[in-house]
Amino acid sequence: MEHQAAEAGHAAGSGFPPFDQIGDFGISQIFWLVLTFGVLYFAVATVFLPRIKQAVEDRDGAIKADVAKAAALSSAADASVKQFEAQIAEARARARDTAAKAKAEADARTAAESAKAEAALNARLATAESRIAENRAKAMTSVSAVAEDAAAAIAERLTGAKPAPAAVKSAVAGALRG
Amino acid sequence: MIATDPMHQFKIEKLLDLKIGGLDLSFTNSAFWMVVGILVLILFLAAATSKMKTVPTRVQSLAEIWYQFIAGIVKDVNHAPGKPFIPLVFTLFSFIFVANIVGMMPYWFTTTSHIAVTGFMAIFTIGLVVLVGIIKKGFGFLKIFVPSGVPLVLLLIVTPIEIISFLSRPISLGMRLFANMLGGHVALKVFAGFIPSLAVALGGVGMLMGGLLVMPLIVGVTALEFLVAFLQAYVFAMLTCVYLNDALGEAH
Repeated sequence: MEHQAAEAGHAAGSGFPPFDQIGDFGISQIFWLVLTFGVLYFAVATVFLPRIKQAVEDRDGAIKADVAKAAALSSAADASVKQFEAQIAEARARARDTAAKAKAEADARTAAESAKAEAALNARLATAESRIAENRAKAMTSVSAVAEDAAAAIAERLTGAKPAPAAVKSAVAGALRG
Repeated sequence: MIATDPMHQFKIEKLLDLKIGGLDLSFTNSAFWMVVGILVLILFLAAATSKMKTVPTRVQSLAEIWYQFIAGIVKDVNHAPGKPFIPLVFTLFSFIFVANIVGMMPYWFTTTSHIAVTGFMAIFTIGLVVLVGIIKKGFGFLKIFVPSGVPLVLLLIVTPIEIISFLSRPISLGMRLFANMLGGHVALKVFAGFIPSLAVALGGVGMLMGGLLVMPLIVGVTALEFLVAFLQAYVFAMLTCVYLNDALGEAH
């Protein structure tokens, strides 16, 4: 504070209150400065700054927590999307399996049924063919009988003599075959 | 009656007599405006911080910006060891800033325009730097006067310069604030005094000239003074941090 006193001496009597009045009021000014500054410092250091700091830190914490929560939720969403996709893929595979199995089954059944039906048809066809053959044979025998009769009658009318039945029969058979 | 003497505004007047132990501790207009200043600050901070919310209100946001501004300076300059000094730097800045702004109001006293106030603040700040330095580093604190890596011959010159520069710090720190506030207010008063002078000397023409030429100048200087009011508080707080770094930081 020596320099202040020196300055006060320099400016003495020049109508310059900051230096002129330092002797009268310097101590009072410093006293009230220390008092008011001390009160303000006390209030700031013990009440206001802790409050402001707390609020700033709380906000930072809240932001960090929210960001972390959002990240967790987003990764959970990603996981469930993946799970969902896996489920869809599984369901699709199962559906494909089921369809393939059903198709195979249906094919097998169709094949079996068509085989059965074919067999039945073949059997009927066979019986029908045998019946046809039988009928034809029967018809053929009746044809040869009619032809023998006719041949015998024609031969008798032409020759006047009744031909031997065995000769007629072999002649007719030879003609039918030929 | 309007006082035209530009020095009159700095005159300290006794409001209440107070003598303790032979010391004159009278309550003056200077003391009154200091009390007003800290009351304004305390009321503002109380209003701003009464209900702290995660989503801040406007005043709370202002208080937070204010705090982060000061904490930012301290963190930039002093880093982690500066943390305990944030309240002090905050108080210094706020006290000076509000005193300067209060002083900008017409007829309100500027407490920071007196060297007794600013000088004591500067001496207190430097004293604190020395005290913290000695507590933290003991005699090692004296190393700030002996820059490392300087040849011995140069040290004989550099060390006295360092000591002188250190000793001149409280003077420059206190004088800067005092002179800025005093000078600004004197300039305002002198310019404002031109108008009645012109009016007296030139009558109506003088009044017109005063209004057209001088008044814009006064408005400009007033705006500049508001800037200076902030800037000087900022400079004081900043320099306090820089000086504290000698006590807290690594030897340079």
